[in-house]
Amino acid sequence: MWKLAATLAVGLGVIAGPAAAQDRPERIGMGIFTFTSGPAAAYGMPGRNAAELIIEQINEAGGIGGVPIAPTYVDEAQGGEGVVSEFRRLAGDQSIGVMVAALSSGNCMALAPIADQLEVPMVTWNCDTHQLFLGEEHPYVFRPNSSTVPEFISYAAYLAQKSPDATRIAIINPDYAFGHDAAQIFTGAMKAFNPDVEVVAELFPKLGTASFNTEISRIAAARPDVIFSNLWGADLENFVRQAQARGLFRSSQVVLALGESVLQRVELPEGVIVGVLGDGWWMSPDAQANERTKEFVSAYRERFGEYPVFPAMKMANTILAVQAAYEKAIEASDGWPGRADLREAFAGLELETLTGTVTVREDHDGLVDQLVGVTVASDEHDFPVIGEMVRYPADQVTPPVGEDPMAWIGTLTPDFAASLPKPGSYE
Amino acid sequence: MRIALLLALAALFVAFPLAFPWLAFVFTLVISKGFAALGVAVLLRAGLISIGHALFYSLGAYTVAYLSRGAGVTDLILQLAGAVAVSSLVGLIIGLFMVRYRGIFFAMLNLAVSMVFFTLLSKLYALTGGTDGVRIGTPTLFGTTIERDTLESILLYGGLVLAFGVGYLVHRYLKSPMGEALPAVETNEIRLEYLGIAVPRVLLAAYVASAGLAGLGGAMYGLLVGHVSPELAYWTISGQLVLVAVLGGIGGVVGPFVGAFFLEIIRSFAVIYFDNIWNLIIGAGLLIVIFFLPRGLYGLIERATQRGPRR
Repeated sequence: MWKLAATLAVGLGVIAGPAAAQDRPERIGMGIFTFTSGPAAAYGMPGRNAAELIIEQINEAGGIGGVPIAPTYVDEAQGGEGVVSEFRRLAGDQSIGVMVAALSSGNCMALAPIADQLEVPMVTWNCDTHQLFLGEEHPYVFRPNSSTVPEFISYAAYLAQKSPDATRIAIINPDYAFGHDAAQIFTGAMKAFNPDVEVVAELFPKLGTASFNTEISRIAAARPDVIFSNLWGADLENFVRQAQARGLFRSSQVVLALGESVLQRVELPEGVIVGVLGDGWWMSPDAQANERTKEFVSAYRERFGEYPVFPAMKMANTILAVQAAYEKAIEASDGWPGRADLREAFAGLELETLTGTVTVREDHDGLVDQLVGVTVASDEHDFPVIGEMVRYPADQVTPPVGEDPMAWIGTLTPDFAASLPKPGSYE
Repeated sequence: MRIALLLALAALFVAFPLAFPWLAFVFTLVISKGFAALGVAVLLRAGLISIGHALFYSLGAYTVAYLSRGAGVTDLILQLAGAVAVSSLVGLIIGLFMVRYRGIFFAMLNLAVSMVFFTLLSKLYALTGGTDGVRIGTPTLFGTTIERDTLESILLYGGLVLAFGVGYLVHRYLKSPMGEALPAVETNEIRLEYLGIAVPRVLLAAYVASAGLAGLGGAMYGLLVGHVSPELAYWTISGQLVLVAVLGGIGGVVGPFVGAFFLEIIRSFAVIYFDNIWNLIIGAGLLIVIFFLPRGLYGLIERATQRGPRR
């Protein structure tokens, strides 16, 4: 009983303690949500690695306003309720200033209302679903990244420019919201750019499929001009290996939306259209011109044995956005900025990232350029790199504030695709 | 003595979230899972293992989602009642053919039906929001709007009261002839038939009750988390419910709640302190209980309270 009373007393003390204080803290707590176990870790671990490295670099350079960042990592593989429970626990800890969450769109959708309720700023690093801000306002949620709409219409635009005669398209996407959304956006944009386009096959294998033989047979039988896929992780690697053996890459133009993430792991043939769902390509001209990025890339390579794939760049850029917001908030407020001050700072935030720029719009969605290209052999590396690149300006390919993204895709015309920069223009 | 122990546990249950606000969420989750696991435990008494109760659990949550979004029923009480009604009804329909099977067939058939439901939830994209799930808004109570924080208190403290109420009802049911017939089904079903007791009817009642309990738990889960995705209908959740019931012990109504408490606490702390090997810690904790407490954690309570009067 005494133990209980003591615990109670300590607990109440904790609650009463830091509420009023806005002095400079000893460290900035940051909750970082990603997959570090299970199949999605193939995509989540680069994110965690990048977070570790960039935070270390920021802290070595003096932290944010002289205060080091103290990250707490949460594994999203523990499922929705565990993630929500951890988010709540961390939000209750006043030393935590901001949450970087999450990888999975489902988790972001579940966490967003909680961030609003607990009034803790939440910055999404990878959940790109356009549904996040659709129909619901989230005063405390920000996405300094692009959404699925600009990401996937960019591939349609690239195709419209590169192979304008392609009309028969096949789609093979993972069977969950990300795959279905992408199929809808890509098809909508393809049809807007060329009314003759028809979908000859649309397949949604479930996540974790090991054998794609039946899917590959069905695609081959449909004789598509274009095969689009936003498979990722081990699924993508399996699909590439099996499709290559069956000659799909020779008979059709293949588009792998998340292809960059497996370039170093699986031998992709030349001429496959790949991209990075944003501008986070570590070898892009902008990245190579940036000393900080080069330093980050070589440190990453040294520590983790591979170059930072785009999920890693996305995470690093997102944490830089948090840093920028903090610096803006420190300038704007008298004492140390609280959570509400930080929220203010995110609105209209603009910053230079490792790979370009990002602007957080008034609807809290991010404006990020879209980089698309095709795989080409490299003299420097033993894996293919991206060539014939184009960098679509964010404001051109992102639906304007307040517009229904799907309806906006319907308003696109062939002239729209023609007005964009041409493949190969980004050097 | 047993009552006193229960009240002491309940007092601890109330006190901790006051000191550590984040525990309120975990504790409410315990109640929600406890209801569902109690449903599974009712069937376990008849020797029937259902690896498919995530169906009713998720059905409860999705019912709340549809009541508030589609049908405009925003009242908390009506939503809970609706969820129990819908899951009991579905339990009745599924139970009609489920009660004919025993053993592995019962387990597998439940699994199969629940996985069909899981697939429907994931695939009927337009209806269910696919794998991203649907959001559940904050309900009203007796026509007044309530804050999210108020809702959480209601769910925790109201849930605790509800757990006592429902627990008492289930306890009475298990002591009634219908309930006492359940263990008899396991030991000798034919003898029961010769005694003139209609076994299918006994089992159907138990199945409907267990579906309703799981639905109630699911509805609480949905209201608490504010979001529901098909993940909740996946077979691993069903497995977890069975595990919780066995962990806690099926000897008494309190067992599943104790099991849920144990699991959630271990999970929470494993995730906090061992963020790389949390699944390993959970597994080890469960193994220890299963090896050393064959009657579940409830066995501890039984032992403590039986010794009590002799002292």
